[in-house]
Amino acid sequence: MSNRRTVERSVQELYRDDPERADALVWGRRGTLKGAALAAMGATLGGSIPFARSMPSGLLPAALAQGSDAPQFLQMEGKARLIMQGARPLNAETPESLLDDDVTPADKFFIRNNGSVPEPAADPRAWKIRVDGEVNTPLELSLGELEGRFELVTRRLQMECGGNGRSGFTPQAAGNQWGNGAISCAEWTGVRLRDVLRAAGLKDSAKFTGHHGADSHLSAQGPAISRGMRIEKAMEEDTIIAIRMNGQPIPQMHGAPVRMIVPGWPGSLSQKWFTRIELKAEPHRGRGMGGTSYREPVRPIVPGSRNTGADFVDMESMPVRSVLTSHAHGARLPAGTRGLDIRGQAWAGDLTVSAVHVSVDFGQSWHAMTVNPPPNHHAWQRWTGRIALPSDGYFEIWYRATDSRGRMQPHAAANWNPQGYGANPISRVAILVG
Amino acid sequence: MRIARLLSAGILLAGSIALAQDADLARRQAEAAAAIAGQAEEEEVLAEGEGRSEVFGYCTACHNTALIRRSAFTRDRWDELMDWMSEKHGMNPLEGEFRQTIVDYLAQHYGPRRRGPRGGNPFLD
Repeated sequence: MSNRRTVERSVQELYRDDPERADALVWGRRGTLKGAALAAMGATLGGSIPFARSMPSGLLPAALAQGSDAPQFLQMEGKARLIMQGARPLNAETPESLLDDDVTPADKFFIRNNGSVPEPAADPRAWKIRVDGEVNTPLELSLGELEGRFELVTRRLQMECGGNGRSGFTPQAAGNQWGNGAISCAEWTGVRLRDVLRAAGLKDSAKFTGHHGADSHLSAQGPAISRGMRIEKAMEEDTIIAIRMNGQPIPQMHGAPVRMIVPGWPGSLSQKWFTRIELKAEPHRGRGMGGTSYREPVRPIVPGSRNTGADFVDMESMPVRSVLTSHAHGARLPAGTRGLDIRGQAWAGDLTVSAVHVSVDFGQSWHAMTVNPPPNHHAWQRWTGRIALPSDGYFEIWYRATDSRGRMQPHAAANWNPQGYGANPISRVAILVG
Repeated sequence: MRIARLLSAGILLAGSIALAQDADLARRQAEAAAAIAGQAEEEEVLAEGEGRSEVFGYCTACHNTALIRRSAFTRDRWDELMDWMSEKHGMNPLEGEFRQTIVDYLAQHYGPRRRGPRGGNPFLD
């Protein structure tokens, strides 16, 4: 068959005929692999690459190619051992037991890409953002001008992938099969988006935003993603243009040098490598808008059925969710352990968390944990408590948060949709005593 | 006064060293990300069967096989995804016999499974 032939020649012959084009086509990026990149690759694989010279036509080392069902872990300088969700695009989830810090450090911050990670800016201070569309005075501001001209604010803000919890859906929904670990709560410093928008002068017709960043689609054609939201969210106090994370320049993996933070709403709105915001009279139509993308059914549909999403609505505030950070799934405890101090984090999009309950008997009885207030709006909340274990043996810790409107995490993921948004079922962590 | 000047020079120097280190790390992370994304895969990473070469060749032009291997969809949903990738991600539309080959392979080898993505009981593995 002719396609088999296409496959066989795609790597070697393409490189021989037109290396630059082949690199973009086959490797999903521009520019050839250089010495330093190969060194980094060596570090990633935990050793030298004997066939580095022939890398473009080389194959994946067996250690990485095999065991497709076993979880694989990210190995990258400056990053913890995150669970790999995919290499191209590069996505990695933070295990719940690594989410114990009240302020998420850079190394434990989950990685979510729709496209390719761009090259770092040569001069971050000169990075420019544009504000245009339905404004009186379009603006172009450098990072330095942003910092000098507008009030800087520092807030702890939770930022969560819109698809967090997707693996809870049955039947499976399309996309990264996140557990609960596509969540972060870093301390962000930046300027309020509304201050910048007011400086540009919003017209009455400015009802929606459209966001743009520097990362490109894996096909190297067009932007990786470009989403937008209602103007009301843009004008909220906690929606910011961030220039620092945890007091440091934003890491390259997380959108350096300037990114948006739209806390409590799907993370795709928090544009990384942020370059431009458009104000619009109608909803934005960029990649990642419309259809079934970041949208949920209003009238529940049959799980697993076909749907174009035409009558779905955009996902806004994320649902209530909790993580257990003190004990990993599969933890073993000494024989005779009868009490256990446990803790975790809980959050609820734009809302707050009013309660966390835990069960160790498969939901027959529930016990209230202590939930701290958030240090500021849109920060996650620490929960702590103690559970009693009646004997040695196998137990599951079930943990369930309730939001400030009284809605609890459900026993099973609700409102199934093709791309899997909004799954927040009660989580279960298995432990073995003795 | 002189001490203050020395101090501020020291702070400036420390600041620029920190910035330079950040720039190095940023470059190394970007390169590492490109290297991970650029890892070549062997076709054999996918389940053996008729249509594997076609699937491997066509799909990995954009994304790696993790997106396939993690999936467990019915034939109908796989078929729907082919249209979604064309409409939303600029994939050349798949039609006719070639589309059937691709969708059949995916449905047969990456169909619904009973085991969750988290795998089995951690104490039995």
